[in-house]
Amino acid sequence: MSATLQYLVNGLVYSGVIVLASIGLSLVYSIRGFANFAHGDTMTVGAYAALLAFSGTSALLVGGGNATAGGGLAGLLGGPAAFVVALAVGMVVAAIVAIASERLVYSKLDTSAVGLLIASIGVAFVMRAIVQILFGNIQQAYALPRSGPLPGFGALGVAVTARDVVVVVATIALVAALHVLLQYTSLGRQMRATSDNRDLARASGIRTNRIVDATWAIGAGLAGAGGVFLGLSLRLQPLMGFNLLLVVFAAVILGGIGSVYGAMIGGLVIGVIHELVPALSTYGVPINAQYANTVAFLIMVAILLLRPRGIMGEAV
Amino acid sequence: MSDPVLELDGVESGYGDVQVLNGLDIRLEADEIVCLVGPNGAGKSTALKTAFGLLEPWSGSVRLRGEEIGGTPPEDVVRLGVGFVPQTENVFGSLTIAENLKIGGVSRDGGVGARVEELYERFPLLREKRTAKARTLSGGQRQVLAFARALMTDPDVLLIDEPSAGLAPNTAQEVFEDVAAVNDLGTAILMVEQNARQGLAISDRGYVLDQGRVAYHDDAAELMDDPEVAELYLGG
Ligand SMILES: Nc1ncnc2c1ncn2[C@@H]1O[C@H](COP(=O)(O)OP(=O)(O)OP(=O)(O)O)[C@@H](O)[C@H]1O
Ligand SMILES: [Mg+2]
Repeated sequence: MSATLQYLVNGLVYSGVIVLASIGLSLVYSIRGFANFAHGDTMTVGAYAALLAFSGTSALLVGGGNATAGGGLAGLLGGPAAFVVALAVGMVVAAIVAIASERLVYSKLDTSAVGLLIASIGVAFVMRAIVQILFGNIQQAYALPRSGPLPGFGALGVAVTARDVVVVVATIALVAALHVLLQYTSLGRQMRATSDNRDLARASGIRTNRIVDATWAIGAGLAGAGGVFLGLSLRLQPLMGFNLLLVVFAAVILGGIGSVYGAMIGGLVIGVIHELVPALSTYGVPINAQYANTVAFLIMVAILLLRPRGIMGEAV
Repeated sequence: MSDPVLELDGVESGYGDVQVLNGLDIRLEADEIVCLVGPNGAGKSTALKTAFGLLEPWSGSVRLRGEEIGGTPPEDVVRLGVGFVPQTENVFGSLTIAENLKIGGVSRDGGVGARVEELYERFPLLREKRTAKARTLSGGQRQVLAFARALMTDPDVLLIDEPSAGLAPNTAQEVFEDVAAVNDLGTAILMVEQNARQGLAISDRGYVLDQGRVAYHDDAAELMDDPEVAELYLGG
């Protein structure tokens, strides 16, 4: 039982990353109308921008040296506080890169959704190449101490680290913030209207170009956060985001492409299933983690057979 | 004749390579209701879309109060005091009624609350259904919402494409009464209507469009009495 619970915890952490990435992919699809294959690499860019910001900030805050392993104020400034700054930088840089790709590439192309999709593959290659040139192909990590399991969860028989808690809590906070933005602010209303019917949105006076920019910024910012959390719970490497892209697509399609709330649910479901696959062996099903993607995709296909437009249909 | 508030002068436009409007001349004065009628595919909707900036004129000019606005994007045309109710997909189905109205008012300076309240007074149905998604409305209710959304800016000129399409005759009549009431409050209206007789009945003047050109134009009453127009375009 506790083994299953452990897989579930791992699933929630993984889901957090998938959910953040899925929302952005679906949001951009809903307003821009194409599947953005550069989305995974946008995550990577966010993660690496945060890496740079993290070392810069911790050096600045504690006056050089690596004090992150230390305790006290220096430890806080060099560690968690610097990480918050780095997260923000990662999100902002991802947003800027996405807006730049819209301005420099997508908006210049008079082509179909398929043409834009192919263009986004090109954009993805460029982003990846830049990351590889700047940071090399080696694995890296945020220089934060890796604490052991938190004592509070020990009673439940599961190992939960501070990093796990950060990822899950921050994901929930970001998702909640997005919900408030979409439902209760003028920008959110205009985003939903633009996604519903762009011509009517323009006829109503919405400056849809600005809404498209805002959508890219929010979608890529969330992807950037997902990338940072992926780097936090595992390691950073230039293919980290791209390798996740298929799973993110599965989550988005499962939720109903174009639907933000569908992406949240799809991301959660796919993430948890993905990590629960190894748990099957404890129930006598001889299958291991290697097949997690396969099982997640099979379940996606099964759900789509029942609901062809995904869990949340078409609505945002 | 006074100066027109909206004028299309020799307008040509279309979609891609396909030309639809072949030198269209239409004028609308400040206190008028003008009705465009004509067969399917004549270019009536295309005329409204070109006037509103959803399509760019290939040649000719669109003038608002004497100023050229041809090719000005719709989000700017709205800010110049023009509203548009499209023929189809004219409400945001996934948004609530209240949200549709707020969206209609995004170009207003200051809040939209007072204007929403005014429109709720005028169309109590909308207040009653304000939290419902627009896609749950019936055809007639949807037409009222589409109309109210466009009125959020209190436009000087309103372009309406087939307000009575698909409505039962008495519901259509109510929509026409709403249109006439808005005109009484000082909004000039350029309306496309398939129910030509009902449309012309509330209009000052009418144009018959055929193949992207004006085939006839006259006072609405004269058009309805013209045996040739009646025979060719109004179904006898
Ligand atoms: N988005 C479009 N792309 C290409 N062609 C179009 C488009 N919309 C309309 N057309 C074509 O342009 C011509 C004029 O269409 P338009 O919609 O202006 O006609 P209409 O007079 O409004 O007709 P209806 O009474 O059916 O509404 C038609 O031949 C139509 O097929
Ligand atoms: Mg039409």
